[in-house]
Amino acid sequence: MAQIVEMPKLSQTMEEGSIVKWRKKEGEPVKKGDIIFEIETDKAVIEVECFFEGTLLKIIVPEGQVVPVAATVGFIGTPGEKLPDVVPPPAPAPKAEPAQAQPAAAPAAAAQATSAAPAPSGMAQPRAKPAAPSAPARLAISPRARALVKVSAIDPSRIKGTGPGGRIVEEDVEAYLQQHHYADLKISPAAKKLAISEGVDILRVKGTGTSGRIMTHDVERAVAEKPKAMSKMRQVIAQRLTESFTSTPHFYVTVGADMTGLMTFRQELKAAGKTFTVTDFILEAVILSLKEMPIVNSYTDGRSTMWRGTVELGMAVALEQGLVVPVIKNAEDLSMTELHDVSQGLAARAREGKLLPDEMTGSSFTVSNMGMMNVENFHAIINPGEGAILAVASTIPQPVVRDGKIVIRSIMKMTLSVDHRIVDGSNAANFANLVKAKLEDVQLWKSLTL
Amino acid sequence: MEKFDVVVIGGGPGGYPAAIRAAQLGARVALVEKELVGGTCLNWGCIPTKTLLACSELYWHAKHGSDKGVSAKDISFDYAAMAARKDSVVEKLRTGVGQLLKGNGVTVLEGLGSFENRNRIKIVKGTETTQVEANGTIIATGSISAVPGFIPKHERVLESRGFLGLTRLPASLLVLGGGVIGCEFACMAAQLGVKVTIVEMLEDILFMLDTDVRREVRRRMEQEFGIRILTGKPLEKIKADASKVSGSFGDEALSADMLLVSVGRRPVSQELNLAAAGLAANEKGFIPVDAYCRTAAATICAIGDVTAGSTQLAHAATAQGVTAAENLLRPKRVAAETLVPACIFTSPEIGSVGMTEQAAKQKNVPVVVGKFPFAALGKAMTMGDTAGFVKWLADEKTGRLLGAHAVGPHATELISQAAVAIRAELTVDELGRTIHCHPTLSESWMEAAHAVHGECIHAAPKRKAK
Repeated sequence: MAQIVEMPKLSQTMEEGSIVKWRKKEGEPVKKGDIIFEIETDKAVIEVECFFEGTLLKIIVPEGQVVPVAATVGFIGTPGEKLPDVVPPPAPAPKAEPAQAQPAAAPAAAAQATSAAPAPSGMAQPRAKPAAPSAPARLAISPRARALVKVSAIDPSRIKGTGPGGRIVEEDVEAYLQQHHYADLKISPAAKKLAISEGVDILRVKGTGTSGRIMTHDVERAVAEKPKAMSKMRQVIAQRLTESFTSTPHFYVTVGADMTGLMTFRQELKAAGKTFTVTDFILEAVILSLKEMPIVNSYTDGRSTMWRGTVELGMAVALEQGLVVPVIKNAEDLSMTELHDVSQGLAARAREGKLLPDEMTGSSFTVSNMGMMNVENFHAIINPGEGAILAVASTIPQPVVRDGKIVIRSIMKMTLSVDHRIVDGSNAANFANLVKAKLEDVQLWKSLTL
Repeated sequence: MEKFDVVVIGGGPGGYPAAIRAAQLGARVALVEKELVGGTCLNWGCIPTKTLLACSELYWHAKHGSDKGVSAKDISFDYAAMAARKDSVVEKLRTGVGQLLKGNGVTVLEGLGSFENRNRIKIVKGTETTQVEANGTIIATGSISAVPGFIPKHERVLESRGFLGLTRLPASLLVLGGGVIGCEFACMAAQLGVKVTIVEMLEDILFMLDTDVRREVRRRMEQEFGIRILTGKPLEKIKADASKVSGSFGDEALSADMLLVSVGRRPVSQELNLAAAGLAANEKGFIPVDAYCRTAAATICAIGDVTAGSTQLAHAATAQGVTAAENLLRPKRVAAETLVPACIFTSPEIGSVGMTEQAAKQKNVPVVVGKFPFAALGKAMTMGDTAGFVKWLADEKTGRLLGAHAVGPHATELISQAAVAIRAELTVDELGRTIHCHPTLSESWMEAAHAVHGECIHAAPKRKAK
């Protein structure tokens, strides 16, 4: 009996996922513990290990398709073995009775099916999801018409069908071509071939060759300019940032912390064999300040205020694919050394793409540090579910006035963004200055690091 | 002071077509030339060498015609007569160029041109100095043979131009540099019985070409013409005296009656006084230009061998000259053509256009290759000239023709068809379906296009690799 490989549930909130890459091919042997595929959830790309031993007999869910948790994505068994019949779950609407032949998976799959199926027509859908790119709406078109569309390198969805039920027939394509003066189009043979293989609508390509001839580089430009589906991760980032920025009234306050003393002290610590990053000090200063001003550690949905008893400190980590925010749980309980280790560990795992979804949820406040990016100042957008975020800029030597004299000090600007519905301007100013005062208090750091 | 719409500095294969094109477009044009119109190409390059090669090949074929049933006894040649014929061909062509310039109303100003400022050109001839105003200027000063400092100055040591002035051939010749010029002269001299040795510092002669192309040429040069080809080390301790030229290649001592230095060409830009026009050449003396042949100064164009990134081919300069003239005089700019076919008049000849296999590999471009040998081609067999092949490089996905290389009979003529096909972005299939005359050498392109898919009619099917 072949083993069913399912879409794993990697966090409490995960409802669906897509396989970004199959690491094994059909027919390839797999061992327990092998990475079988990589999945993309709304948080990150995660490598999934195989629980079975055998041969990957069949891949049911291709790369890129979004399927609900526990859906069958493939089978592992011995070569030649007969596989149960499965309907590959189509992304938008799973059938009512999916995968009857697999009792083990059926209940879960059925449960998922109800939750993932779109609402019946006429009702509003609370969260309309973009259709998966692998399953576009089927176009009613005759085979002869489709063949003509293909060799002409045009987009059939722009053609009006006159066949039964609006089906596009060959005559429609011919009329469309004539209407658009297709016969007058000048196009190089290689450009046309490329347009066909890349699915580029040649009627929408501007030719730059002699007398407007469409050349290969014109088609290559059209290919590069074609809209590409955002990764799941980017879609989630887009949705969350838009939601936060449009629904939360942001209020900003900027202070400049004099880091000169702390920088010197940090070097002393380093010389003594104790290594802390600048981020460690910033995080600790924020944790201490949040304990003093819990209002900044709370959030609102517009109706009530949610207070949090612990500091769940999010730290933004920039990756090539986008930004992730791993969370330092119960941050107020950690010593400086522990804080250093935990934050370093999370950042490293974030960069390796090994964070688990649960490690990226539940933050109550976030620090976004762009100190290494050589910026003077910036404003961050509050993460949904939080009431504030601190944007930390680079430490830059600047002329400042001390005791009536101009001196050069290392100044680090920080901008606090708060949800103005729960945090007033004065609170925001006080909090920002609290963090600044702590960073400038070298005695404090001596007591915390000795 | 006389005013011109366009002043062209340099009357070579880039400059004189630029002047004619500008005149065709209705401009008042002056052409400044310090020596002879036609430049290096016509007077001391392409034309004289090809004239001599025609003679040397005729001699070679006359001597080696017995396999075709033609034998002649007591064949001899008179190099002085060959040289005289060369001079008359050159003169005829040069007179023609002069007439074309005159017919188009181009004012030819004899002397050395240089900038006084952006719009003023000074022309010096002997003790006379004149100045002209120019709205637009095209720099077309070309290049000359580079002769490195370590090479002794001696009458037995010549570069290409000096060699073309000879009326008597040496008995033995040492060629320093196995590039295009070195190999062409080596073939010509060897066909006329000169004992030739080529020394090339790189690991092979004609190094910019694919290995399979190089192999074909090298085989005939070595095995039929008896040319010695030494590669991978420099020629050192070069000395010239009254009786010979000598040098050492590694441990081996080499000597010959004469040394031909063909180690490349350097741009002629020092005498231009570019700084007066606010321009500067790069560290090697080349003038940087953009895709439209424009220098950093809006009204000054530069074309041909003097420009940075030049292919140093006459026909490229001609095309750029025409483009530069048009860009100076017309409101709409066009980029100069970048697809430049190259021809090498060795024996066998070489034609090459577009991407080479080694370049495709280097740039990681996925290509498919189709190759057809002249040994399998009817026309080549009738001619008794079956060495070499043609090959296509095409894009793996679309079949778009990306490069073409021919080595063999009339390869320099064959390559232009390939250039048309590549520029028009034809695919392998279209080329393969184009009917070619039979029996001709051109058919090889059609067969090579078929070979890309392993569908040659006139080649044994490839055994499936497994």
